[in-house]
Amino acid sequence: MIRFRDLSKSYAGPDGRKTLLDRSNALFEPGRNYAIMGPNGAGKSTVMRLISGAELPSSGVVERAELTSWPLGFHGGFNGTMTGRENAVFVARIYGQDPTPVLAAAEDFAEIGRAIDMPVGSYSTGMKQRLAFGLSLAVRFDSYLIDETISVGDRRFRRKCEKALGDRLRESRVIMISHSETMVRKYCDFGMLLWGGHLYEYDDMKALIRDYRRFCDQPAR
Amino acid sequence: MTVRSPVVINAHVLWALMLRESRMAFGTSHWGYLWAILQPSVTLVFLIVIFVLIGRGAPFGESLPLFFTTAILCLEYFGKTSASLMRAFSSNASLFAYPPVNRLDTVIARFLLVSSIHLLIWLVFHSALIATGFGLVPWRSELVIASFLCTGLIGLSVGMLNAVIFSFFSSWQHFERLYSRPLLFLSGTFYVPSMLPPEAVAVIRWNPILHAVELGRMGFYPDYHSELFSAPYLAAVILGLLASALFVERFTRKLRR
Repeated sequence: MIRFRDLSKSYAGPDGRKTLLDRSNALFEPGRNYAIMGPNGAGKSTVMRLISGAELPSSGVVERAELTSWPLGFHGGFNGTMTGRENAVFVARIYGQDPTPVLAAAEDFAEIGRAIDMPVGSYSTGMKQRLAFGLSLAVRFDSYLIDETISVGDRRFRRKCEKALGDRLRESRVIMISHSETMVRKYCDFGMLLWGGHLYEYDDMKALIRDYRRFCDQPAR
Repeated sequence: MTVRSPVVINAHVLWALMLRESRMAFGTSHWGYLWAILQPSVTLVFLIVIFVLIGRGAPFGESLPLFFTTAILCLEYFGKTSASLMRAFSSNASLFAYPPVNRLDTVIARFLLVSSIHLLIWLVFHSALIATGFGLVPWRSELVIASFLCTGLIGLSVGMLNAVIFSFFSSWQHFERLYSRPLLFLSGTFYVPSMLPPEAVAVIRWNPILHAVELGRMGFYPDYHSELFSAPYLAAVILGLLASALFVERFTRKLRR
């Protein structure tokens, strides 16, 4: 369960203070797959960072009673001087999971072979993404956060990512940001439309996409 | 649903950070940890040997090495915490991408690691002194333990303040050196503070590290009387520093994210 209570988020931008959320209340019920849609610049990615806790609200509270992932495919948390193995073990530990099976699963998924004992700084972007993706599936999160990126790597690896994610979603759920109506329809059964500093909940994907189309034809307020 | 209580999350994160930091500080072999202990020990041994060769007698008691050690171990421990905690935020910046990792966790993990090293240094050093006949078994070991804890807490608070200030002004690292050097002379390393003229005592008695040193000496020497040691003052400074460090960290948290 993730709940926003009177949550406001604003920051100082180049054109003065910008309010992304204005005393917003929203509830992401456990086990339901949510799509977050809204026009560019409305603050969807910020909402996602608020959900994960990577960003603090300006005021209000985020109640979080589950383990949420970092955005899928994100690899900025790796330390370049440490090996892939050390990074993976560290991540498993901070999420309170047994490092051995997590490392084994991530290593097996990422297909980076012996490079697992090389410093992450020597990895290509693709290797980092594959390891980060494998790691996020290996740590058993309750909620997977997806910010447009649903898979990484080449064609074959992308199919593997989507299959693995599909398997994981039998136990976990997604909260996803996407502009792709196909993707949203495929993965989600509930939705939030971010518009004018508020999150509007939908339990009907058809209605969400209809409103998303209508509001996206206007510039974001 | 995997819901961990905040305390459990903290414990997991601290443990992971400590293992990670020790990996980075000492490398993958156990020798790294040994080096961390050896390095300050060598500095100390040199200082002591030089002063013994000059032919100076101990300002108090029989043993010059023991007298030095009681002050220098406090200074080393304080200096190491206050300097290494300063960089706790900046050298762990990438970790804050993981929401469970708090700024405070990185400071505490580093503090625990440095403390574990210095606890070992204290034990090794005093054991070596006792084995070579220069040392004394403390007659009130609880005072020595209190001296260690007080030094650590001062180091933790000052280090945390350093970390916050350093995250806003990177030139703070130069100021940090300004106070760490004079401390060698203000902390009773080469003299018995109570035997200084009252004008000098009036100045150095503000130095909380000196109080920690005096506390340790009272634990080692049964006949060591400190004119200036004040438990209420030491406690007030520690609580004041710690409270302001936590306060400053909390109220600048949103600015730093």
